[in-house]
Amino acid sequence: MFISVTCSLFSGGFLSYFSGFFGNKERRILILGLDGAGKTTILYRLQVGEVVTTIPTIGFNVETVAYKNLKFQVWDLGGQTSIRPYWRCYYSNTDAIIYVVDSMDRDRIGISKQELVSMLEEDELKKAILVVFANKQDIEGAMTVSEVTSALGLTALKNRKYQIFKTSAIKGEGLDEAMEWLSNTVLQPK
Amino acid sequence: MYTLLSGLWKYLFQKEEYFVLILGLDNAGKTTYLEQTKTKFHRNYQGMNFSKITSTVGLNIGKIDIGNIRLNFWDLGGQEELQSLWDKYYAESHAVIYIVDTSDRERIEESKIAFDKMVKNDSLNGVPLLLLGNKQDLQGCISVGSMKEIFTPVPDVIGVRDCNVLGASALKGDGVMEGIHWLVDGIKRNSISRPPTQKEIT
Repeated sequence: MFISVTCSLFSGGFLSYFSGFFGNKERRILILGLDGAGKTTILYRLQVGEVVTTIPTIGFNVETVAYKNLKFQVWDLGGQTSIRPYWRCYYSNTDAIIYVVDSMDRDRIGISKQELVSMLEEDELKKAILVVFANKQDIEGAMTVSEVTSALGLTALKNRKYQIFKTSAIKGEGLDEAMEWLSNTVLQPK
Repeated sequence: MYTLLSGLWKYLFQKEEYFVLILGLDNAGKTTYLEQTKTKFHRNYQGMNFSKITSTVGLNIGKIDIGNIRLNFWDLGGQEELQSLWDKYYAESHAVIYIVDTSDRERIEESKIAFDKMVKNDSLNGVPLLLLGNKQDLQGCISVGSMKEIFTPVPDVIGVRDCNVLGASALKGDGVMEGIHWLVDGIKRNSISRPPTQKEIT
């Protein structure tokens, strides 16, 4: 009950409906992943190009990120266990999901997989593009792309386009390539 | 009467779904080939600008309809590290298109090794195979004939399957249609051992 009430408050459907009249539509991107994966650091890296000091997000951060001639409305949602059930409140009208994985956290990659799998089952996200950020690649011993693919069970996705990027939000690596790819891909017909 | 009607219904609305795997080394032109195929088989399809296509680390999908046949494509990343993921798709594939960059002489051997490994996999037994010599529009590329010689596998490795070698330029769109039509025939022939995934399409 509580979830459904908060959902209607945050869905943002009203605003995006109107912005559609003025041509350049803002694309809506969600940044999701377990707590401590680096979601907030990524959001502010994308927006201001700097590393900001973050605390665990309770609730969400939302910013507009401009990349080339596209505008993205980027939502960074808190990743702690207790607040993950609220992710689904933000699913409607989502063009792309950035799913962030801490490539050093082998212990919790299984949980990350479960969250990803149940998220992708949602009808509202059927058409959303999936981009996985294998983050924290600056640390030695981080999981490789193929390890992350297998651990997240991505090879079971047969009807959805997805792409993985190795990123280091702290060093700002991999983010430009990812945004370049995203901006080309959201413009493609589905 | 019911059988008659349901048969007619199926004839009209049901499509036979097949899955086609597009493999090959990175930079062979797999994603460009997929985009070109979509452009050729869909009216009014506004494909991705070919110059914007970057290295795939993940999966691209696409589907085309030919008569009552629907082909679903899986275009996988070709980098060495990602080749270990290819076999996860073998059991569900009805055909394989293996793309070779014929302009890259230095990597032809590497491509051959990946090809051999794929062909030997038991999960792909009997599956039709199209070997595509891509980038034939570039000067100094290896001819389709020489590529055929390099890649021709030992008969007992290739097993009993439909096999074809074609030249193409995914970028220009040459040789794309022929390959797909050949593949459809092969898939149909092989459909007794690899039946389609039936799906109602309404």
